[in-house]
Amino acid sequence: MNCLDFKRLALSDPNSREHSFVEHSGSCPDCLKYVGGVRQMDADLSNSVEVEMPSDLMARLQLNQELTEEAETLAMTVANPMKRYAMAASLALALFVAGFMASNQFGAANSIGEDYEALLSGVVEHMNEQPITPVWSAQKANSNANTLLASYDPDMKLKFLSNLQFSRVCPMGQYKGLHASLETADGQVTFAYIKGESVGELLDAGYEGYVSRVKPVRGGNLIIMSRTNKSLEEADSQLEKAMYWDI
Amino acid sequence: MTDLSNEPDEEQVNYTMMDKKRKYALLIEAHSKDLYKYALWLCKDKHMAEDVMQEAFLRAWKSLDSLREAKAAKGWLFTIFRREHARQFERKQFQYKDVESMDTIEDSHHMGYDDRPEAFALRNALKRLPQDYREPLEMQVLGGFSCDEIANILDISSSAVMTRLFRARKKMRQILGHESAPQLGVVGE
Ligand SMILES: [Zn+2]
Ligand SMILES: [Zn+2]
Repeated sequence: MNCLDFKRLALSDPNSREHSFVEHSGSCPDCLKYVGGVRQMDADLSNSVEVEMPSDLMARLQLNQELTEEAETLAMTVANPMKRYAMAASLALALFVAGFMASNQFGAANSIGEDYEALLSGVVEHMNEQPITPVWSAQKANSNANTLLASYDPDMKLKFLSNLQFSRVCPMGQYKGLHASLETADGQVTFAYIKGESVGELLDAGYEGYVSRVKPVRGGNLIIMSRTNKSLEEADSQLEKAMYWDI
Repeated sequence: MTDLSNEPDEEQVNYTMMDKKRKYALLIEAHSKDLYKYALWLCKDKHMAEDVMQEAFLRAWKSLDSLREAKAAKGWLFTIFRREHARQFERKQFQYKDVESMDTIEDSHHMGYDDRPEAFALRNALKRLPQDYREPLEMQVLGGFSCDEIANILDISSSAVMTRLFRARKKMRQILGHESAPQLGVVGE
């Protein structure tokens, strides 16, 4: 191998173990220096994008798998999965509650501000993407929620909710937030806690078939999607008591 | 215990025989850090990097039975990641469209990158490479792939990979103002 071939290979594959390459670098100081420079640039480049992995990401990768496996097992073993799984998709078919008609998306689209719209559509987009959410034991759902919150928003805390069924940090439209569900007498209520700028004031609206509430909370917004007015109020008052900020 | 008559030694446990959960745990242990680094660089957004990575790992879990050898694990996982990234990036392009313009010191800082000027210059040089050159270089230097693996993933020949890598590094060196690359005839620009 001559110096030209060597340099060419050095730029393509500086760690090549090709015999002639290794041999040449041992006998030609100039080329050895050259390939050293190339390797240094690689190392510097790699170091320049070095980052620390979020401390809980490994745990979440593991957790996601366990949840999936659990959901799969449940789906196979439970005779009537419809009962074990809350089908958010079916909620989309639920009728609007009359009380919310005044502010629904047909009647007064303009009355929902852009920021509310973005939050609601983000949550609904995610609910449509993942229409089935597993139903866990309250124990598991609560401990999971606390683990997730520790990474998502360490200041926010959630007291034990005996009817919490599911929690995960999920992408929701342009946002990412805590996605969880509560069991109520009227069925499952989905709620999302999304960090960011808080909306000005609480808004109730019929949205895509849901009775929804967007509520400013410390450090972000709480979005509640329900099928009835009653379960919305029930969930909200529960969350009002359970959510607190440890600042 | 199974009733296999000739159980292999502990040391030589066949990867295909390994418990699926164990395989998955090993995958996380061995490759999540490298993948995160690669993911963040490609996504330029922490949340998206985590989302895509979580989705990729879930897909990996679902098709874990198709992974037969430990040594193929990294390439296999990164391939799943790349596919998922392409899928999500396309979907979210609208939201992440300003990603390309993200190259201020402030952004680097937000991402947790080294914000010394040298590091900054290197990242910018990499960003300025044409995609055809940049991609294999990212795979080789950041992903740790061999030329053959890159050829497989990108579905091009090994010699095409070598040519692109050559050009990528030559261009990097020019952008960074290192000694000008030697004149090597036709393969140059
Ligand atoms: Zn030489
Ligand atoms: Zn979710």
